[in-house]
Amino acid sequence: MVKHITQEKINLYAEASGDFNPIHVDESFAVKTPFGGTIAHGMLNLAYVSEMMTAAFGRNWLAGGRLRAKFKEVARPGDTLTISSTVNSIDNTDGVSYANCSFDVRNQKGEVVVAGEATAKFSRGQE
Amino acid sequence: MTGKMQGNTMNYEELVPGYEFPPTSYELSASLVSKYVKAVDGAGDDFVPPLAITACAIATMAGSISLPPGTVAIHASQDLEFFKPVPIGATVESHIRVVQKIARGKMGMLILELEILDRGKEKVQSGKATIALPA
Repeated sequence: MVKHITQEKINLYAEASGDFNPIHVDESFAVKTPFGGTIAHGMLNLAYVSEMMTAAFGRNWLAGGRLRAKFKEVARPGDTLTISSTVNSIDNTDGVSYANCSFDVRNQKGEVVVAGEATAKFSRGQE
Repeated sequence: MTGKMQGNTMNYEELVPGYEFPPTSYELSASLVSKYVKAVDGAGDDFVPPLAITACAIATMAGSISLPPGTVAIHASQDLEFFKPVPIGATVESHIRVVQKIARGKMGMLILELEILDRGKEKVQSGKATIALPA
């Protein structure tokens, strides 16, 4: 999955979430910080992972999904993010199968923006 | 976001382990979800994307912390578990509590537990967030 970060999307995300931290939406403020300009919300970058998991596991992600994520690098307007995930193992507990996945979000330079693990219930039809 | 939070802005010093932010209720309206889905290039559904719910809770909480001028708070990590799908238009309530506070030089790390309930007080999601901010 590939996503392009734009200031327009960041602004829209700010409106939807209510997170108007100036580091995300105020260029004149952000340029004076160590980041040197606006950055995307970490939760926006992580939202792409959740979207990918929803596409893969459907309602099993919405009810029973778990994730652990670390925000390692910032994403900026103009960046292109590639979201990837690998199923590492499948566990069976009480007759329910769980897919254990690792994921990362990388920018166009290959730097890891977000990394972590996710688990979702797994139906046989999703094999 | 259409939300309601009772309480005042908190300084970093006042955020001690055990502190509970005032519960916040917010409606996950169709227009909010539509904006969110557009922002994340997502696919529409009858249910609210789970991270939209989390994002609203964290944004409201973060907005209640007073930071020194010119400084920023940064999200360092996030753990989440989702328990049930939330239909568009539902109202949920977030509960956030400080569980740990770590000083690292001029920066502080706040570790927060969050729990989001629906109108029937059933758990929708829970998790833990680490926020780095000026100490």
